[in-house]
Amino acid sequence: MKAVGARLPRYDGLAHITGRTQYVDDVRIHGTLWTKALRSPHHHAAVRSIDTSRAEALPGVHAVVTAQDVPRNVYGHLEALGVPADEPLLAEGDVRWKGQVIAAVAAESEEIALAAVDAIDVEFEEREAVFDIRRAADPDAPTFHQWGPVYPHFGPHNHRRVRKGDVDRAFDEADVIVEGVYRPQAIEHVPMETQVALAVPEASGRLTIYSCTQAMYFSMGVVAAHLQWPLSKLKFVGGTVGGGFGGKVDTATETICALLAIKSRRPVKWRFTREEEFLVSSTRAPWHIELRDAVTTDGWILGRRTLTLHDAGAYARFSPYGVTKHAFHHTGAYTIPNVRFDGFVVFTNRVPTTAMRGFGVTSVSLAVELHLSRVADVLGMDPLELRLKNANRVGDTTGNRVVLHDPSTVAVTLAAAEAAGHEVGEEYRSMTSDRRTGDLLPEHLVEQQAPEGAHMATFDPTLTNGGGH
Amino acid sequence: MAKHRGRGFSTIEYPTGMNQNGDPTQAWIKLKPDGSVDVFAGTVDIGQGSKTVHTQIVADALGVPYASVTMDNSNTDSSSICTGTFASRGTFIGGNAVRLAAEKVRERILDIAAKELEISPDDLEIADGEVLAKGAPERRISVGDVAAAATWSYGELISGHGTALKPLAEVDDDDGSVTIEPHSAISYAACVIDVEVDDETGETTVLRMLQVYDVGRAINPTLVEGQIEGGAMMGLGLGLLENSYPYYPSVEHRGEQFGSYLAPSLEDFPVIENVILENPSVDGPFGAKAIGEMANNAQPPAIAAAIHDAVGVWVTEMPATPERVLRALEEKERREPRREGKRVIFDEEISVAAVSTNGGEAYWGVHG
Amino acid sequence: MRLTVNGVEHDVLSPPLATLLHVLREELAITSPKAGCLQGGCGACTVLVDGEPRRACLTPIAAIDGASVSTVEGLGAPDDLSVVQAAFHAHYAAQCGFCTSGFMMAAQALVDSDGQASREEVIAALSGHICRCTGYVKIIDAVTAAVNGDVRTAETDIDMGPRDEETITLVPGSPA
Repeated sequence: MKAVGARLPRYDGLAHITGRTQYVDDVRIHGTLWTKALRSPHHHAAVRSIDTSRAEALPGVHAVVTAQDVPRNVYGHLEALGVPADEPLLAEGDVRWKGQVIAAVAAESEEIALAAVDAIDVEFEEREAVFDIRRAADPDAPTFHQWGPVYPHFGPHNHRRVRKGDVDRAFDEADVIVEGVYRPQAIEHVPMETQVALAVPEASGRLTIYSCTQAMYFSMGVVAAHLQWPLSKLKFVGGTVGGGFGGKVDTATETICALLAIKSRRPVKWRFTREEEFLVSSTRAPWHIELRDAVTTDGWILGRRTLTLHDAGAYARFSPYGVTKHAFHHTGAYTIPNVRFDGFVVFTNRVPTTAMRGFGVTSVSLAVELHLSRVADVLGMDPLELRLKNANRVGDTTGNRVVLHDPSTVAVTLAAAEAAGHEVGEEYRSMTSDRRTGDLLPEHLVEQQAPEGAHMATFDPTLTNGGGH
Repeated sequence: MAKHRGRGFSTIEYPTGMNQNGDPTQAWIKLKPDGSVDVFAGTVDIGQGSKTVHTQIVADALGVPYASVTMDNSNTDSSSICTGTFASRGTFIGGNAVRLAAEKVRERILDIAAKELEISPDDLEIADGEVLAKGAPERRISVGDVAAAATWSYGELISGHGTALKPLAEVDDDDGSVTIEPHSAISYAACVIDVEVDDETGETTVLRMLQVYDVGRAINPTLVEGQIEGGAMMGLGLGLLENSYPYYPSVEHRGEQFGSYLAPSLEDFPVIENVILENPSVDGPFGAKAIGEMANNAQPPAIAAAIHDAVGVWVTEMPATPERVLRALEEKERREPRREGKRVIFDEEISVAAVSTNGGEAYWGVHG
Repeated sequence: MRLTVNGVEHDVLSPPLATLLHVLREELAITSPKAGCLQGGCGACTVLVDGEPRRACLTPIAAIDGASVSTVEGLGAPDDLSVVQAAFHAHYAAQCGFCTSGFMMAAQALVDSDGQASREEVIAALSGHICRCTGYVKIIDAVTAAVNGDVRTAETDIDMGPRDEETITLVPGSPA
């Protein structure tokens, strides 16, 4: 019997339904301490002093850590991808979002840990906060990030750019220009399992970290970088997580547990409360997207001008990656030959935003699909016929010059129409994804069409399976 | 005073793998002396079922029963690197890694079986845990006996490793162009949503969500349905319910409990129907592509379009809460688009130009 | 205080206002009920107390001194699944599995209440439980089947090959 294509039972199905699946919080190690964090109560403030002496003196408190305890305090999520690090693990000198971690405590019980957090004295000097990305780059706007109001490292530019064809000419030639503003929101990942880690010092001097991370090696690398340790000294245990959706990549608990475990020489666990998940854990980003489509009365989309602002929150994290991915998909499932896209990563004094299911593309799908429905309405055209007309075909190129060799836009759209009982005109019903010719190859789509048989330099993964066994 | 029905559509696409590539997954496999198969993969299972899918891929790539394969993804000492469970890469890139490792193991099994059977390995195949001579299946040896022979006679640990890695696609910072595909595949989906909007309360009830997905190859159709259905409810949340900042950009009135932050519940549960299409990818494992993330992308725009179809207003700030729908209804005339020549201009008052103190010069004034 | 958990009597050492969830997980090492929110808002901690589904995270043990508590650990074993568990397994009602215990105990209470229930009634009965992964579809399928006695019990080696009415179609023109 073949396994691929079969509805075989989940590998971990029996474990789940007999209650035996072990998540991080189910691991029981004798002597485990509880962790609580001291978090900034201000959206933006200078930190003048931190005094942990009263907290350290409380009975049952085994360790308190601040920025001074972190060998490399810089949080460089995407340094490997050329995004410079901009964020401290523990606050140093200032706090830039309400909830930012300033110190953490490991204690015998949750109650003692909470009391210890209350016993840490911090002197703040509040500063003006920034919340509206539309205003954040105005000349009179306060700035707080060392790089200014927006991320400046898209090569020599402070924005992600896509330029193809001649968008000004497209607007000149259009019969109608439809303009709209789309604002998809920040949401929480809401995994049923809150973020949690358990760091256990081993007799060998290594540290075992039970983690809910979605990326064991990535998180291990983050911890190793903060501790300035070789990977050989760390062992991440995990692989079984109670939901993630992108919210368990930031490695929010592991390093702090490690620092506390090293300092206290005890196993240390930090489990986020649900309130922490909702209020201070990283969210999906809010976006502001302005679209201007140049269209003809018979439904061709000649060109698109896009301005995207992405609310990164207080630090960059994965935002430059997200805006780049967004830029790569801003024409959606359609072929638009003339495009101009500018996307900015904008800093505000809220929780740093992060990846969430669909990162970068969820927002652009909201904007371009809702905009297309609007365009159909303005033109008086059937919304599916408009989509089918402009749908990707074999040999079409995207805004980034990707040559499409096997798009399914037409197939899924026609299948949905049929399943929903929505009738489209006969010429649309017989459409395929075949390379454009005849009526489906109007003058304005000739230049963008790749030569027949053209292939991008794709890569066969089998060639990378180097070495023996 | 009335409830109105409406329908909205969307068609989307989504890439497989990290944008611009460069994200490896490595896996390795060994056989125990009785032919049991141990797979070590670093791919984290967050519920999407990667442990299951990888096991299915290995079983078929080797030709052994699913039940004889053990999957260990539990730690970094025994598992090799998997960049992570995100970017919808677990089945394609992770699956390719385990498949490539399995193919190496298959070669070793055939080589030893060939010696035992005195038949060329090219004339052998493996099915259901047995190595068989093609066209003469009575000449056979079990994978278990091959593993035993390897252990006790040939002095070999039958093993193999595989890596899936597509090289980084550099992007031109001036015009965004690439010369290598910045993804491993593209999946497509279309969505039709029916709603009912109460024009007195502004409440939108989703009646039905129909979704069509091209996933390349459904390695496990039930797991694919699980992604479609879970994503559909998450998309419903994005469209109607959830907001970390209910009065964004204000940071006030944030919900900190399940009652004040509205994660989709059974109270919101509509009819969910799905259709799975397969347009296999060129180099995904068994033609697979991806679905994990795109599953929540198609619903929000279809819901907003359905609301317009029902009550004639466009809500473009998500979620389309009752308050936003009511305000849009109240301000319907004022929110008609401004027409200037051939321009049809919606949503002006929330635009950058309207809110910024200098027309958003920093954003709109980009040169080139 | 005393509690009988899954048929075993325990002298409970935790203080009277400790929650049942804390006692189960931390004192008795029964970890199937989960700390999803500790607000009573998600249902992942649901267990049966004298047959009734209760939020263990909101139940102080002083309020249930002497009661009989049932958790998933008492429902069945891999080679001897209860009706609810067999239904969840057959219908793929779990993805990450974190909410599963709570749903199953609530479903068990429905099964025990001895009536047939429509799909709508099942939805209403479970509406206090949050799942983020599944979109609820297969959970409702499973519980409706369990409540209406439409389950093959105690089968763990289920042959789940492609079904006849398989709805997967090749896109026309695509390579097979």
